[in-house]
Amino acid sequence: MNDSSIKIMKSPAFGASISRVPGVAWILGLLIAGFALANHDFLSSPNLLNIGLQSVILLLLALPMTLIIMTEGVDISIGALLTLASVVLAWVLDHEGSLMLALGASLLTGLVFGVVNGVLVALLKMPPFVVTLGTMGVVEGLALLLTEGQSIVVRNDALHAVYAGSIGGIPQTLLIGAVAYAVTHWLLYQTRFGTYVFALGGNPEALKLAGVRVNFYLIAVYAFGGLMAGLAALILTSRMSSGHPTAAIGMEFDAIAAVVVGGTSFEHGNGWLFGTLLGVLAVGALRNGLNLLTVPSSVQVSCIGLLVIVALLIDSFKGKK
Amino acid sequence: MNTNVPLLELRGISKQFPGIKALDNVSFGVYPGEVHMLVGENGAGKSTLMKVLCGAYNADEGEYFYQGEKVDIQSPADARRFGIAVIFQEFSLVPYLSIAQNIFLGREFPGKIPGMIDHTGMHREAKKLLDLLGLDISTKTLVHDLGVAQQQMVEIAKALSQQARILVMDEPTAALSDRETERLFAMIRQLQVEGVAIVYISHRMAEVFAMGDRITVLRDGKKISSLMPGEATPDELVHLMVGRNVDRSYARNFCQTEGAIILEVKDLHSANGVNGVSLMVRSGEIVGLSGLVGAGRTEVARAIFGADKVTAGTIFLHGKKHSGGPDKAVSAGIALVPESRKAEGLALIRSICDNLMLPSLPLTFPNRIYKAARARQIASELIQRLRISTPSSQRPVRLLSGGNQQKVVIGKWLGSESRLFIIDEPTRGIDVGAKAEVFALIDLLVQQGAGVLMISSELSEVVQICDRSYVMRDGRIAGHLSREQLTEANILKMGVHDE
Repeated sequence: MNDSSIKIMKSPAFGASISRVPGVAWILGLLIAGFALANHDFLSSPNLLNIGLQSVILLLLALPMTLIIMTEGVDISIGALLTLASVVLAWVLDHEGSLMLALGASLLTGLVFGVVNGVLVALLKMPPFVVTLGTMGVVEGLALLLTEGQSIVVRNDALHAVYAGSIGGIPQTLLIGAVAYAVTHWLLYQTRFGTYVFALGGNPEALKLAGVRVNFYLIAVYAFGGLMAGLAALILTSRMSSGHPTAAIGMEFDAIAAVVVGGTSFEHGNGWLFGTLLGVLAVGALRNGLNLLTVPSSVQVSCIGLLVIVALLIDSFKGKK
Repeated sequence: MNTNVPLLELRGISKQFPGIKALDNVSFGVYPGEVHMLVGENGAGKSTLMKVLCGAYNADEGEYFYQGEKVDIQSPADARRFGIAVIFQEFSLVPYLSIAQNIFLGREFPGKIPGMIDHTGMHREAKKLLDLLGLDISTKTLVHDLGVAQQQMVEIAKALSQQARILVMDEPTAALSDRETERLFAMIRQLQVEGVAIVYISHRMAEVFAMGDRITVLRDGKKISSLMPGEATPDELVHLMVGRNVDRSYARNFCQTEGAIILEVKDLHSANGVNGVSLMVRSGEIVGLSGLVGAGRTEVARAIFGADKVTAGTIFLHGKKHSGGPDKAVSAGIALVPESRKAEGLALIRSICDNLMLPSLPLTFPNRIYKAARARQIASELIQRLRISTPSSQRPVRLLSGGNQQKVVIGKWLGSESRLFIIDEPTRGIDVGAKAEVFALIDLLVQQGAGVLMISSELSEVVQICDRSYVMRDGRIAGHLSREQLTEANILKMGVHDE
């Protein structure tokens, strides 16, 4: 165990959240056990790898979503934003041929709308739900406008290599997910920014009295969400070899579900990033397992909804004890 | 350092709020190494003065002097620059951050990389502060997992970490155990030696005399006296706090006969801090529930009404055992007139008519069909009877003055079958003229045979209107005062810690 992981183990957030491990861990365990019994392919290594690969995009959305929810906010535009960023990425790559330029455009798209969300929430004191509902509509419309409702198909080796390639036998997609998690974990637990995320939800008045630029950090949280949507667009576009104007519509639902299943609360800045990772895996395992059982995707949505309710029930029972 | 010059001095401070002069030409200074006690009853202006001191309020008139030189303090940031730190009663802590992170919130130790925090250093310094306070607990503990007393200690540690030259404490021992209080006092004495000036607000006579180098008494926004602890006894100090001005705006005929018992509460405990309360209200009497803010009066009301969970004890209504939530309470004839009338007592955007009719709808329209004309007629009669000044019964309640709103809140129960009224701070924020009318209305309720339990922080109005009063302290009934014993001084003596 290296030095930084010792720090994580000893960090206050870890100690207090250990009591919550059973909640989401039980769910994850039950899901895995259940699907393994129902379908022998579920536990095969190609399928497990598949769950991991499929979960990375969700993870990239759920990580910033955890921070946003911790500030007692929410970003329901994040799925639409991912879609738009993916379309932008495909369009730029199609026209310019440079993956770096395309990724830059994608990140910029995410960042701009994330900042817009943040500014409206922080400076104009508008409710996050309403703000991001509006942004969601605008962004969805833009994606359709840019593509005229069609997919932008890209034939680009560099793009293809992002999803297909691996380094030292580990798929690049998984590496991107791991780095994103590590960076977010570092931000939340080791930096001022992270401390202020806890305070934004827990006691914003105290933060203001401490002389901290509250609005700046609140905007930064939403900007981070946009940026991560821009990054997720790289994986999404690579996987589909195209930008599709409705590719990730509704994905905010999975992201919020994963965060809530992972034990982060909508109140008082009570968040837990590792729980979000487990929550993402739970949602990913559920989707994958239901796919193997050829359950239609409409029913899958219901199952994820059920998962959220069960997770909250477990937490509320534990709270009563 | 010159100890003959006050470290901080306020001269001629006045502060006006709508309808009340919260501070009237108050001068107040504190010397290095001095503990300056600030005492006064509820609403005397202590908290306002404290907020002016720390820049949270701007005074309408008056000047600040720091070490004899005139300075300007316009904001909390200005105050911090002069080393003024405040420990408020409401906590300024973040629940899901550690003790160390809370102590140094906004002043995190920079780590190796810009933006990073040096957790190790912060925990080390936080540990030193906790050791100083005798708090044996890991600095990594989340504030959420701490008790109220421990949170208070963290709050104190936070103020200490700011290298305060002037430390303002608002009832710092309110939540502390004896042992923790001793620790705090030891720490205060040490700070005194280091030349820190301390402003200390307290209701506890024992600590006022034990810790104070000087005592300033405020009353009705004015400075009444500034004296040394040896110059007065605790009783004399209480008399200075209450004064002699009795409000004669409404004189009622006190209850002469003993009515039937409406409410009897035995050894009530609630999840919200009621610790064994027994009391009784009879038909035809107004019973006061007085005591200092935070003594648990509102919590008693909420427990009786079923809004907070009752953990032990019994409630009898008309001799029958009563339990359950607010719906049960209402159908059993209990009416709660809450303290925050705008938030809990009124539908602000609805008309006076709608608000007045709400509790008596089932009685007025037994077959559940609402007749607007009939409702308007009843409302108009009530409006006349209550002397609510409005051009129409259809006027939204939010357009009424505070006094008229309060008349609606109480008056709407006139037409219902409620027999027991729990009225929380009936005159808060309303002017003197309207006060008398609200009293008249409460009087009318008891004349109709109802019983009233009246919670009030205004000692003078308890004395003026109540037939008798219970006095609360720390979630318990500290004593009972009959009509003959009912004076401001007696209430205050029972309500403060006098041992």
